[in-house]
Amino acid sequence: MKGGWLEGPKLRLVAAAIVVINGFFPALWILLTSLKTETELVSKPITYWPVNPTLANYVQAFTDQPLLKYLGNSFLVAALSTATSLVVAAFAAYAIARLNLQRRQLILTCIVASSMFPLVTLLVPIFETMRALNLLNTYTALVIPYTVLNLPVCTLVLVSFFQSIPKDLENAAMIDGCTRIGALWRVVVPLAAPGVFTAGILAFVNAWDEFLLALSLNASASMRTVPVGITLYQGEFTFPWPIISAALIVAIVPVAVLIAVFQERVVGGLTQGGLKG
Amino acid sequence: MQRRHLFGAFTAAVFAVAGSLPADVLAQQTTLRVFSGGANQRPDLMRKLFDQYQAKNPGVKIDIETGGATSELQRQYLSTVLNAKDPAIDIYMIDIVNPAQYYGAGWLEPLNQYLGNPADVMKPYLPVYATANVVDGKIAAMPAFADAMFMYYRKDLLEKHKIAEPRTWDELAAAAKKIQQAEGNPNLQGLSIQGAPIEGAVCTFLLPYWSQGKDFNDASGKMTLDKTAAAKGLNQWLSMVDAGVIKKNVAEVKTPDTVNEFKAGQVVFAINWGFAWDRFKDDADSQVKGKVGVMPLPAMPGGKSATCVGGWQWAVSAFSKNKKAAADLVKFMSSPEASKFLAAEGSLLPTYQSVYTDPDVVKNVPWFKDAANVVIAGRSRPLSKDYGQVSDVIRTTTSAVLARTKKPEEGVAEIESRLARVMR
Amino acid sequence: MSTLDRLRDPSEKTLAVMLLAPAFLLLALIVVYPIGKLIWNSFFDLRLSGGGGGAKFVGFENYVLVLKDRDFWGATWNTVLITLITVPGALVVGLGLAMLANLPFKRQWPVRLALLLPWALPLAFAGLIFAWFFHTEYGVVNDVLRRFGQDEPAMWLLRPNWAFAAICLTIIWKTSSFMALILLAGLQMIPKSLYEAAEVDGASKWQQFWQITIPMLMPSIIVALIFRTITALQTFDIPYTMTKGGPGNATETLSMLIHKTTIDYLDVGYGSTLAVFMFVLSLFVTGFYLKRIGRNA
Repeated sequence: MKGGWLEGPKLRLVAAAIVVINGFFPALWILLTSLKTETELVSKPITYWPVNPTLANYVQAFTDQPLLKYLGNSFLVAALSTATSLVVAAFAAYAIARLNLQRRQLILTCIVASSMFPLVTLLVPIFETMRALNLLNTYTALVIPYTVLNLPVCTLVLVSFFQSIPKDLENAAMIDGCTRIGALWRVVVPLAAPGVFTAGILAFVNAWDEFLLALSLNASASMRTVPVGITLYQGEFTFPWPIISAALIVAIVPVAVLIAVFQERVVGGLTQGGLKG
Repeated sequence: MQRRHLFGAFTAAVFAVAGSLPADVLAQQTTLRVFSGGANQRPDLMRKLFDQYQAKNPGVKIDIETGGATSELQRQYLSTVLNAKDPAIDIYMIDIVNPAQYYGAGWLEPLNQYLGNPADVMKPYLPVYATANVVDGKIAAMPAFADAMFMYYRKDLLEKHKIAEPRTWDELAAAAKKIQQAEGNPNLQGLSIQGAPIEGAVCTFLLPYWSQGKDFNDASGKMTLDKTAAAKGLNQWLSMVDAGVIKKNVAEVKTPDTVNEFKAGQVVFAINWGFAWDRFKDDADSQVKGKVGVMPLPAMPGGKSATCVGGWQWAVSAFSKNKKAAADLVKFMSSPEASKFLAAEGSLLPTYQSVYTDPDVVKNVPWFKDAANVVIAGRSRPLSKDYGQVSDVIRTTTSAVLARTKKPEEGVAEIESRLARVMR
Repeated sequence: MSTLDRLRDPSEKTLAVMLLAPAFLLLALIVVYPIGKLIWNSFFDLRLSGGGGGAKFVGFENYVLVLKDRDFWGATWNTVLITLITVPGALVVGLGLAMLANLPFKRQWPVRLALLLPWALPLAFAGLIFAWFFHTEYGVVNDVLRRFGQDEPAMWLLRPNWAFAAICLTIIWKTSSFMALILLAGLQMIPKSLYEAAEVDGASKWQQFWQITIPMLMPSIIVALIFRTITALQTFDIPYTMTKGGPGNATETLSMLIHKTTIDYLDVGYGSTLAVFMFVLSLFVTGFYLKRIGRNA
């Protein structure tokens, strides 16, 4: 914990306010918009609080499209791809951080290089691959690419966290009869928990918000994910902000709940023990 | 003994299985998958037409895919799927500007062999749709429904201030200014046009250009840009901005903005597509119910009224595995009966001249009487295999000129130099 | 040794292969073919508008055309500028937010949630929302300015420089959340004892920051910077939804140019070439970050 720059509860309140306002104000704006009607949005001067608050937009958001189904799809795909990404990344990161590899840099570069191409140029071949494997419009069609998309971030985050954990603890475990892989799961990963949960949250949010692949690979209505679904409230000539805002709020809430629940794990646990100066 | 029992059991099993199979498997059912755009293309009405067709053709089942709510998102999706030559979707609904480009890319099946000679097949339709859908002598797509840009105006305000419908752009600017001053409402816009770099901005560029009687390209697709006329057209918009008739941030205005502002009573004249009429008339929060009129677009002095047509077309995928069945469905969906249904049920403009004056249609949608003349006099945007590029150049430059980051003459010169290579 | 024994206690080399195999198998499945095809396509004149017919081999002609293309240089310049502004910007803002969020609050979760919420908002919608904030008539920014007496509403997104600034601000807002997330976890790994010892030795807060926090945080900073830089070079959604590259081409990035060329112009060959250039640029820029990580263990 940072030795207090800002002493005293008053300044800490200011600090909290800064962070909270910065993070919440667009979400708040969207929340207020979701309670308005479209005509109110062109009133001059602009209104903040809705003149006649209405929940009709939420009703329409759920009836115009199967929003719940989309949420379920998104959740499943994001959760599976995050879990897979973390496991694969943990293995790779351990090899890079702990083993004496000749071409460590090349390996890292290869893993990271895959994210250096804009996805739009890789779309057609990925589509062809999924079609050849007969996986279009399935959960797998998205889980595998999302795992690959998140692999670079997860791997690198875990590498940096693994590197900062001293080797003594693993060595102690191995002297006690643990295998290297056992040491990975029983010693290193728990100690790198903040890193693991950070990588997990990043991967989850990335997968939740991904648009291009979800649009191209899972086009059928029953397999659609939330970001694609939200774009369908628009029409060629219409952009109903109130309904879209309602859908956005519905889309963000699960992610927010997830973050609120897991944020403890991101920051807890480490400084309590195990590491001496 | 045992073999006979076995044989009997086997035969019984086969019949049992066959009997439990759904009837359609045995009756050779075709499933057609139709990609029918987003909410503005009324998939609900299309579904009703499909049901009618299914009733008449029991061997066919039609599934709707709604992917991509806007032309942009659809193109994103289609370019991935069609580039991969995917046979999953049989029929596409595409914008009027797309047949040339998609046919050129080899994505559309030419329908001559299923429907007949282009000259005969396309005769009953409005000429502009006949031209847009026939590429290199092949029928690339069939019209679903039409659209055009209309000049909507506040009938009540014009009556109140005793002004007649303006026939030229100058008259319109003067009328708008007079009403703005008389009403004294600082938020009242004289004219609302779309200046954001959206597809509609191509029309914003072409409308004043066409109304001087000029053409953007000749019949072979070669660009015939009259730079002076084009600059004059753009300058006309800018002079209206200077006069306060059009608002200063016109380069931010998109199609929904014009509709919402007109609906809220903040606009005197507005250029927009056909869907807006119902919004002004029926929306619960519309402040202009019963106060809206429609008129042909003004012309430049010495020129002719011209408007931009829009509309959607049905096309058969070149990679479909059911081309004949798909072509039959397309023929049905572009028939006069379908057109009449869409007109009466959804106020979707017909592509058949005869349907405009059909008594049932006129009863349900009286404003089509005024609309007919506008659509019939409509012109299509440049039909080019490289329309993607043409559209991008025109709309981006027009928006920049309206945002005053480029002078009209500069903008027009840029349009010419960038498109010279493409449209020749 | 039998295979089973070897698996249970593998040599370093076998272990390395076992650990890296899953990652590389996945990469091979998803990414190798697309990247290969991309590079292959860049040597062809593959324009779908020319008729669905075959591609014409043109060798390095596309590459030469790119180097002569004014739009390419303009877009690359915009991209590099965005990178130079938003990468340090996101780092500074992210670090500040992470340190603020790291203070002992009675209730942690609102602050932590607020820290991560910008990242959770889908990118395209963040762009649309901020475009709304900067809208001339309906935007909050102009409304606030109006209340402070500024009557003439500024047209933020219609002036190239202001539009650019608005876009950078939005990007920094969104990505500082990404940075803060990584840095916060890194901050948590720094043992309290170090600060206590420094306090005892009489070090000031400023000195503690530069001599303890920053060095201990360096691995996290580098990781965060690598990805921030890669995604900055690929900036697409925010300028696309805020200005569509306008006014004119003033805010068009390299990724937007590639998108336009591939999807709108259907020029797959040229688009692939542009993508290769983007890859080379990314590789060059992040190359020296990666060296640092490689050396670290």
